[in-house]
Amino acid sequence: MSEFSRGTRRVARGVACIAAGLILASSAFAQDTFRFGLAMPLTGSQALYGQDQVKAAEWAVAEINKAGGVNGKKLEMIVLDTQADPQLGIQTANRLVSVEKVPAFVTAWSAVVKAVAPIANDNRVVELSVGANSPDIAKLGDYVYTTFPLADVDIAAVAKYAATNMSKKKAAIVYINNETGSVAAEVYKKVFTAAGGQIVANETYDPKATDFTGPLLKVRAANPDIIHLQGLVSDTPQVIAQMRQLGLTQPITSYSAAFNPKLIQQLGAAAEGVIATSLAPGAEDSEKVKAYVARWQKDVGREPNGLPYTQYLYDAPYMVAAVFKSLDDKKLPITGESFRKEMLAMRTFDLPLTGKTALGEDHTVVKAVYLMEVKDGKWTRKAVVGE
Amino acid sequence: MLDTTIILQILWTSLATSSYYVLFAVAFALVLKVTRLFNFAQAAIMTVAFYTAFVAVQWLHWPAWAAFIAMMSTTLAASYGLERIGFEALRKRGVSVMFVFVFTFMVSEFVAYLAMLIFGTWPQTIFPGIFWPVTLVGNIAISAWDLPAIGVTVASLGALLAFTRFTRIGQFMVGVADNPDLAELYGINKRQIFLVVMLIAGAFVGLGMFLYGMRAQVLPQTGLSLMIFAVAATIIGGIGNIAGAAIAAIILGVIQNASILVISSEWQGFLLYIFLFLAIVFFPNGLRLPQRRSRFGTATRERAAEQGRSAAESKA
Repeated sequence: MSEFSRGTRRVARGVACIAAGLILASSAFAQDTFRFGLAMPLTGSQALYGQDQVKAAEWAVAEINKAGGVNGKKLEMIVLDTQADPQLGIQTANRLVSVEKVPAFVTAWSAVVKAVAPIANDNRVVELSVGANSPDIAKLGDYVYTTFPLADVDIAAVAKYAATNMSKKKAAIVYINNETGSVAAEVYKKVFTAAGGQIVANETYDPKATDFTGPLLKVRAANPDIIHLQGLVSDTPQVIAQMRQLGLTQPITSYSAAFNPKLIQQLGAAAEGVIATSLAPGAEDSEKVKAYVARWQKDVGREPNGLPYTQYLYDAPYMVAAVFKSLDDKKLPITGESFRKEMLAMRTFDLPLTGKTALGEDHTVVKAVYLMEVKDGKWTRKAVVGE
Repeated sequence: MLDTTIILQILWTSLATSSYYVLFAVAFALVLKVTRLFNFAQAAIMTVAFYTAFVAVQWLHWPAWAAFIAMMSTTLAASYGLERIGFEALRKRGVSVMFVFVFTFMVSEFVAYLAMLIFGTWPQTIFPGIFWPVTLVGNIAISAWDLPAIGVTVASLGALLAFTRFTRIGQFMVGVADNPDLAELYGINKRQIFLVVMLIAGAFVGLGMFLYGMRAQVLPQTGLSLMIFAVAATIIGGIGNIAGAAIAAIILGVIQNASILVISSEWQGFLLYIFLFLAIVFFPNGLRLPQRRSRFGTATRERAAEQGRSAAESKA
């Protein structure tokens, strides 16, 4: 028994020595590590999207490290759960800033992005919003930037394209009566009239509505050349179905919510001619995206939920790594302030899955908008605006 | 704007889409009338009904009739479970109406959350397509969904009426609704009647959800938002007045849609709440025609009492 105890003690001592060595090694290594945070919903109602986005970012970090890291140093991403809940988001951001002491962190979901902005600004830590699209994000303070185009970018592109490239003179707007819908309807109206067009009907519907006959008949009476629909993923197919049933045969434009394969499945021939937007290139546009989608199929057995969003999340670590590299090259300290300064000095980033990203002076981002049209039962690329 | 085609089109489409609202409102009003419970757990039954049909068609590739049977089976099973495990236990404990209300609400939220975990937050439909071909009658567009939906609703209401008039259990239901304690004194098994009512309401909800899911997309939270309309129709139609709830559901749907002819479209959704507010403040017992004693209602109640009495005598 005593022999055994001595043996055990020896083993314990050995383990302790190894552990101490590992801790020392890791702390030495930690100094040679570039760390940043990722605060996303890993649980809760939005986890379906959040988990896939985190996976995309993890793949990117692993690939950056596999290719030698940042100037030979490891890139480390600290992932925390926000549940897409502002309150939890604040706790998460506080931990990233005060405990993990990262110079920058990535987050998403408009409510969380807005809630944690004061923490980023007060502590001078860069908050990168990747995926949220509320136009307010551009006004959240000096340390809040977005790599994802805000709501007005694709709506403006669609409105301009309808007036100039499609030569439509009279447009009708049908939008859902909430903040997203009314802001987008305003943007569409402004851009379409500025391009020489006229808005002949501007109709809204209640978010709880299940029948849209009234507003659609008003649109029919106004006889527009084109209709812009600003709805949610949940009501858009039904509104389009009812438009076609009521004899509205005009081209219909919408935005990224309409761009999904289910719309064609649900509407069949009624989907023909519907134009939607995508804010990221698809598999047919880029070899890298094609390989990325193939990897999802191979490793996970399906396409990611919200593919374009995962593309943006995949690109975020590449952008962060580029800023870290530039700071390291110039032997500058790694702080939130220096990170922000360097990021703005670099301004333009060429990212693997979403292409060129140019940070604007006004805290917005300039990205190409892909206009997709349903043709012969398939989404096909109609045009790229702002490439 | 006010041309006849537009008015007739709005009237027709509102009438067709009010079919599922009528079913939801009747289910809610029926449970309220007989069991005196504001059954917000109806939203949970709606969620169960929809996702059963969805799984049967989209995951298991069953034909529509098999999906319908599966949907009805789980809906009735869920209604049975809710009555026996939930309401009956709460009744035995003599809990307050407010407690039951909280319980029903919690059940709905729980089921919605569970559906979200299993099926995600992406909207779904029962069948892959939701586009129904249209026939023009005059200049009025009538979709292939409209007539069957109206037909099913009218048939269900007819069946319910016949059930309450011509079957023993149906007449007991009227008796319990009128005065549960007196009905029990006459030997009517209240426990059995409550269960029957929950099952009928479940069947109505299942039918309504099947109609809804063939035409629109459903999210885990959809049941709860559809419930608001049923509650409004029940209150406006007069609490405890099943026919009133059904009529209120149709009228509310038509007014909400037709209002666009006179008011701006952004006020349409608001109208429901204005009606609800006015009804609660000024007509807490619903909008009624001058009180007139219904010969049919009296006769049915008398018949129910008579049969209950004979049932009690035969037991004795």
